Amino acid sequence: MTRVYLYALLSGPPACEAGVGVCAEPLRLVAVAGLVALVGDVAEPPTPSALTLRAQDTVLRRLAAGIDAILPVRFGTLVANDAALAEALAPRRPQLARALGRVAGCEQMTLRVWGEAAPAVSFESAGGGPGTRYLDARRRAHERARSVPELDPLRRRLGGLVREERAERHDRPPLLATVQHLVERGACGRYVEEVDSARAALAPWRVSVSGPWLPYAFGEEAA
Amino acid sequence: MKPRAAAEILETADDSLLDLVDNLLTRGVVVSGEVVLGLAGVDLIYLRLQAILCAADRVSGERHRRP
Repeated sequence: MTRVYLYALLSGPPACEAGVGVCAEPLRLVAVAGLVALVGDVAEPPTPSALTLRAQDTVLRRLAAGIDAILPVRFGTLVANDAALAEALAPRRPQLARALGRVAGCEQMTLRVWGEAAPAVSFESAGGGPGTRYLDARRRAHERARSVPELDPLRRRLGGLVREERAERHDRPPLLATVQHLVERGACGRYVEEVDSARAALAPWRVSVSGPWLPYAFGEEAA
Repeated sequence: MKPRAAAEILETADDSLLDLVDNLLTRGVVVSGEVVLGLAGVDLIYLRLQAILCAADRVSGERHRRP
């Protein structure tokens, strides 16, 4: 008995043939809830390994070259059949369509921010009772988890190159934060040049850059 | 995730593979269904990934890489 392994959601049929998937299964396109899903029929899902992760990324990169937008699905996602796929996707069609629109014509660049110590955090107490102070602290912690002010000098340089940003603080020196940027296809070379030219301005923080990647980090709101 | 598979990924990791693990295992659209990787397993991988990234930075210093 086979099940449906879900690879990605696409803005439309790719220009090239779908080809084969990680398990050497023929890939097929399923039109569901106004979306196009790229799937394969497998008896067993691929075991996560260096080889299968690379293979899945390669499958998607090949197809991405011939379509406007692709939203990779998390590795290892299986559903019972096409009907179950429709049932899973239909309620989220508006969010998924918006996410596809957001990543159209773009790819992802990833920055990691490094430093020997996390910046000190200080803020004034919100005052009020213990409940107010607790909730205010929770709000500030939530905001801080997605805030990377260390990159402000770089953000000014990247300006028009970046369509959207996702940020996640780790605050585990030396790794302080990971930031993903959505960049128009073809602009990644200029993006890297801007990062390189900003290194002095970013001191004492160090930044490493990788990409271009498919927009893995920009479909999460659709979950 | 089987521990052996996790070890294989992380012990043979190079720069681009670490980013690949981060992208494919901890990001991407989440669709309800039968996901072969349990959430606890993914969290564990992500913690180990961060640890290895930190270790790699200490060894190699500032890096500039492309996949």
